[in-house]
Amino acid sequence: MVDVVGLRKTFPARGRHAPAVTAVDGVGFRVGRGELVGLLGPNGAGKTTTIKALCGLVRPDEGELHVCGIDVRRQRRQALRHLAAVLEGNRNLYWRLSVRENMEYFAGNRGVSRAQARGRIDTLLERFALGDKRNALVSDLSRGMQQKLALAVAALAQTEVLLLDEPTLGLDVETGYEVRSLLRELRDEGRTVIVSTHDMPVVQDLCERTVVIAHGRVLVDDRVDHLLRLFASRAYEVQLGAPLSPGQVQTLRRRLVSVTVFDDGLRVQVDLAQGDDLYVLIDVLRSGGTPIESIDRRVIDFETVFRRLVRGETAGPDGVLDLTPDAALDRTGHHAAVRA
Amino acid sequence: MLTVLEANVRKVVIELMRYLPNTISLIATFYIIFLAMFLGISVIGDPASADANLRFAIVGNAFWFLLLVGVSSMGWELTTEATRGTLEQLAMSPVGLRTIVLTRMLGTLAVHLVITVGMLLLTMLTAGQWLRFDLPLLAAVLAPTFVAVIGLGYMVAGLALVFKQISALLQILQFVFLGFAFVPLAMLPWLELAPVVKGVDMVRHALVDGATLAAFGPRDWVSLLLNAAVYLLLGLLAFTVAERRATARGLLGQY
Ligand SMILES: Nc1ncnc2c1ncn2[C@@H]1O[C@H](COP(=O)(O)OP(=O)(O)OP(=O)(O)O)[C@@H](O)[C@H]1O
Ligand SMILES: [Mg+2]
Repeated sequence: MVDVVGLRKTFPARGRHAPAVTAVDGVGFRVGRGELVGLLGPNGAGKTTTIKALCGLVRPDEGELHVCGIDVRRQRRQALRHLAAVLEGNRNLYWRLSVRENMEYFAGNRGVSRAQARGRIDTLLERFALGDKRNALVSDLSRGMQQKLALAVAALAQTEVLLLDEPTLGLDVETGYEVRSLLRELRDEGRTVIVSTHDMPVVQDLCERTVVIAHGRVLVDDRVDHLLRLFASRAYEVQLGAPLSPGQVQTLRRRLVSVTVFDDGLRVQVDLAQGDDLYVLIDVLRSGGTPIESIDRRVIDFETVFRRLVRGETAGPDGVLDLTPDAALDRTGHHAAVRA
Repeated sequence: MLTVLEANVRKVVIELMRYLPNTISLIATFYIIFLAMFLGISVIGDPASADANLRFAIVGNAFWFLLLVGVSSMGWELTTEATRGTLEQLAMSPVGLRTIVLTRMLGTLAVHLVITVGMLLLTMLTAGQWLRFDLPLLAAVLAPTFVAVIGLGYMVAGLALVFKQISALLQILQFVFLGFAFVPLAMLPWLELAPVVKGVDMVRHALVDGATLAAFGPRDWVSLLLNAAVYLLLGLLAFTVAERRATARGLLGQY
């Protein structure tokens, strides 16, 4: 459905204070029909540029872009028939026009008359809970409603592919949830959706797969559950019934690379991903007669995974992720208790 | 294409209605300018030529208004739409930005033509000077003239895409258009090469001096049509180049 190969874009310098910026430096990924893929990356990573290149709004320097098999660079207008995008949340709308007028105007610009669009507009407005606002001016809507309307406008185009740049930006928890379920519905309709976001619940709840971009390159392209497993299954936290002795701590530090001791010796964490062996820990505990209260496997959320990925804990050449200790995990991770 | 035209004309009309105070003050400004001319001519002008002068002023003023709105409104709209984020949506239409801009300009011109006719009636009523309308002739001259206006509109729109800050340019254009609308070709013949001026001159002959179809020779028509064709092509070219440049630099959106 969507194919990006070796996309490169350097924005030319704009005078002395705005030097040339390489926004995207060889990004490539492929999204199949009906997939909902998250495009992630820190600020300035190149997500928006990638999406705009797919929309034909930014002309790439190099690379191939295909939407539904159509070359975006050579047959831009044909390709645009198959995609719709929401680029800046609530800003892709005419604030002086009403909700319905916006829908009608954008439909008209795609060659769909008001009569043709009427039924579908009504359905969409109901579905997006904007029915009773249909005649309100967009400027009078809340940000959440505006953002839903922008999404509705994109959905109205009935294209196979939807590109969404930060659709939940600036939304409260409730509206964010609502937008997520709307996105899920769009995917369930069989649309192919690429969503760039900083909103981790969007990734964790919705996306089967995520492409993480940093500095204009793809860092990881993998299934979300796979990434979670990869990171989560390797760190264990052991809760002790009595504090470790200084001697035990010394031994642990000598024999385990990743060990961290908390709470005056009452809690220990080990990361197996770094070649550490849980048996070593167990042996040291047994030798001192230290009681084990529980062993928790870390269940980390995608936010932590993402932070670790971006911090340079990148995929190795064979696709295996190398991990290094990360203090953030200790504080933000949740626990899934595996009672000892 | 017809749907696109309808959608854009609708939008122009809706926004005009919704901003009625703006619209009214715009019309009032031009009406007041005209009244000032009217007073000036009747107080200090030569009474013998006062009638002709008045008709001259009416026509010139009407064209000035149309030129200003027709050429610069698209430029204004594109700069605001670029910062509002709607320009990118327009550029993503499979119909193409060029077509949307065209329909928007057609809508704006049509709506303001209606307003201008209303204003003309009003000013003629005020002045007690009735212009002769030879409608077929008027239409035959106005059509190519508006084509040239659209060409100019494309140029300004293209500049707006690339440079964003075009208000200074638009201010200058006000005075240029003042010249286009008021200076007779008899006074500055080379102005015939400038856009729109030939058409305005012909309309003036028709409305002020009462010239009929027979008064214009093939040379006039060729000049008029050539002028329209050349400026439309130049406009399209400028806009296409500007669009390419804007996509190369990512200028269609807010950055
Ligand atoms: N039109 C432009 N002209 C010049 N530089 C640009 C332009 N658009 C983007 N950039 C630069 O390109 C880089 C990538 O920007 P981009 O907007 O693609 O990042 P992003 O991943 O969407 O970031 P964010 O999460 O902040 O939205 C940034 O350094 C940005 O400053
Ligand atoms: Mg962005």
